[in-house]
Amino acid sequence: MRGRRVGAAGARAIAGVSRSLPSDHSPRSSGRAKFDRPDDSAPWQLLLPRALPIPAGKRLASIALGKAALPALCFARANPRAALPAAGSVGWLLRAEDLCPRQMLPDPSGPLGDEMTVWGQCDALASLGPPAPHMETEGPVDVRHVQWLMGKLRFRWRQLVSSQQEQCALLSKIHLYTHGCHSDQSLGHLSVTEAEMLRDPEGGQQLLRTLEQENRRLEAVLAWRRTELVFWQWMDTVLGTCAPEAPAAASQPTFLPWVPECGDGELELVVRELQTLEEELREAAERRRVAWEAKARGCGRGPEWSATRRASQETVEKELGALQRRWEQDSGPAQAHGPHRLVRREDGAAGDRDLRAAELIRTLRSQEACLEAMLRQLQGQCRQELARVAGALPGLIWIPPPGR
Amino acid sequence: MSIVTVQLGQCGNQIGFEVFDALLRDSQSSHGLCCKRENEAYQASCKERFFSEEENGVPIARAVLVDMEPKVINQTLSKAAQSGRWKYGQHACFCQKQGSGNNWAYGYSVHGPRHEESIMNLIRKEVEKCDSFSGFFIIMSMAGGTGSGIGAFVTQNLQDQYSNSLKMNQIIWPYGTGEVIVQNYNSILTLSHLYRSSDALLVHENDAVHKICAKLMNIKQISFSDINQVLAHQLGSVFQPTYSAESSFHYRRNPLGDLMEHLVPHPEFKMLSVRNVPHMSENSLAYSTFTWAGLLKHLRQMLISNAKMEEGIDWHVRPPSSGLPSLGKKSLNKDLHFNTSIANLVILRGKDVQSADVGKKFRAYIHQYTKFGIEEEDFLDSFTSLEQVVASYCNL
Repeated sequence: MRGRRVGAAGARAIAGVSRSLPSDHSPRSSGRAKFDRPDDSAPWQLLLPRALPIPAGKRLASIALGKAALPALCFARANPRAALPAAGSVGWLLRAEDLCPRQMLPDPSGPLGDEMTVWGQCDALASLGPPAPHMETEGPVDVRHVQWLMGKLRFRWRQLVSSQQEQCALLSKIHLYTHGCHSDQSLGHLSVTEAEMLRDPEGGQQLLRTLEQENRRLEAVLAWRRTELVFWQWMDTVLGTCAPEAPAAASQPTFLPWVPECGDGELELVVRELQTLEEELREAAERRRVAWEAKARGCGRGPEWSATRRASQETVEKELGALQRRWEQDSGPAQAHGPHRLVRREDGAAGDRDLRAAELIRTLRSQEACLEAMLRQLQGQCRQELARVAGALPGLIWIPPPGR
Repeated sequence: MSIVTVQLGQCGNQIGFEVFDALLRDSQSSHGLCCKRENEAYQASCKERFFSEEENGVPIARAVLVDMEPKVINQTLSKAAQSGRWKYGQHACFCQKQGSGNNWAYGYSVHGPRHEESIMNLIRKEVEKCDSFSGFFIIMSMAGGTGSGIGAFVTQNLQDQYSNSLKMNQIIWPYGTGEVIVQNYNSILTLSHLYRSSDALLVHENDAVHKICAKLMNIKQISFSDINQVLAHQLGSVFQPTYSAESSFHYRRNPLGDLMEHLVPHPEFKMLSVRNVPHMSENSLAYSTFTWAGLLKHLRQMLISNAKMEEGIDWHVRPPSSGLPSLGKKSLNKDLHFNTSIANLVILRGKDVQSADVGKKFRAYIHQYTKFGIEEEDFLDSFTSLEQVVASYCNL
């Protein structure tokens, strides 16, 4: 039973983990006996993500998911009424925040500042592609149902836009009215949360308690990180002795962290396999290229051929040029990702990690234009396809819906 | 969130006045069953939606009044100011000295473009006054000249300029035995244009409201004012603050949005109508007893049997097995309702065109429209688009 005794370091590790778990998971922090039961899988599942190493001090880039993220990007939509003063004395800044510590918790509490998150490039969005159609084969889908759902989506979208405008107006007012109230001179005014705290002291106390709790959990996470290795080694011994004794327990899914310990021999094997694969791929690519070149050469050299070739060359050059421009544009201002705090300044001074809202808006607008062009192209393709399909069926009349 | 009301034409302005009056009176009424805090919240919510505050505390309606004749607007403004409880903004109205002679084309092609900028400016000022803007509520009649022609034009403009905001058009369906000879043509043109540019069309029929006044409210000499008041009562019930289903701690934030999301998501089915119970004047309320369940049952049967009034409901009609959603809120139930009189109207017009000597009459009136740029093709276009609408409803 020696393997099962958890040493002092291990106990500290376990305690650290349990403290870092959110309170509604009822941390089972005490009792060695409890860990004899392998079916307490819930805490294990929470632990696993934390077993992955997070580089300290780096900001995590967040990946945009779906269209819903897009409105979150823009502080002011392309709407002349809600336009920010573009240049000059008054401007908005996005002050970068170090997010690493808070991201270590599964559910960090709300931020104190007015948080705006700067997502990665919109390429992330574009590269998602159309979602794989999830077809339920229960019978023919009524197109009216689909139209119904689309209409609902459109209305929700518009409601979202008006809520966003409302939020913008509110933020602007609060920032304006609380100018000079903040103790931190570089910020100058209060955020919504801070203003709310002042207005409602009870709520402020609650927020304070939540923050203190979060602090404690963060400390626990750090403690866990220090003693992690000890813990896993102990777990190894436990499971080692556990497996032959309890076949019933083995049938339960146990999550073992994968500790890389392949020796040299295995590594060589893997390397050799990779090399053979690479060879095969190169040969296959070579064969394909030869075949294609033969085919292309045989295509003829008529004026038609050279015209198409020129056309395709031009499109490629155009696209390359656009890509390069976009890359230059985007790599110009050093774009930090992650959450930022929205600050309104009269004098327009900015730290080196801060982003100006006006520039961000410009970038986002160009990305928006890009995406809209893509959308229009896709719509055109769809329309052509539909026309082709409709034309192929005699007697089918295609009446486009009355719309904008 | 606030709604900006655009009142167009004689009909629109009169109804608009009644609506605002009814809303404010309801929100300030003292005989209620709720606690004070509740009442205050209700009042605040209603006021924020439809009125803006001024220094001396008199609420100003968030409305733009448009008419081609000054008479009705002046009447409306003075009635509001006289009540002392609320008023219209001083510069919120736009009127000209001449009428439009019930000519849709005149309203749409002449008045509209000519005064487009001033009208849109007024609207823009109202919108900017709102802290949070949710949409437009446009009141107009379908068969007159000013209201319908300019209404169609203004709605189209709003669609272009405020494409993200929601628009609900309240249209008044004329009496079957019309007052205006060309009302059929006006109606068709209006409907087809509005169908394209508006999000929802809320229809009130003069006939139905007239019957309600006559039979249920025991009014002997029914004036337009009575009709308008009943209308306003119905509309008010729709727009007063209601709790949302999820959280009953505060009122819905976006009334238009919620309504529309549930009722008119499908782009082809935009017509709405209103049913409400009970139909009686406020004075008789004290002498009646109602149960919530009973009222709802009445309402449901009214919907199913396509009745407009509480009296004479056909209880034998059973609902078809369709999956149309219905929202219940307070004493009101709204459902997607195909107005059979559209079909009647269209058939009537078809008959008009076909019979020979009426054909001459048709030609005679058409020239009134072509004078101002509405060609026969426009009529045909409108006709086809409405036929499409009728067909889609028939296919439901």
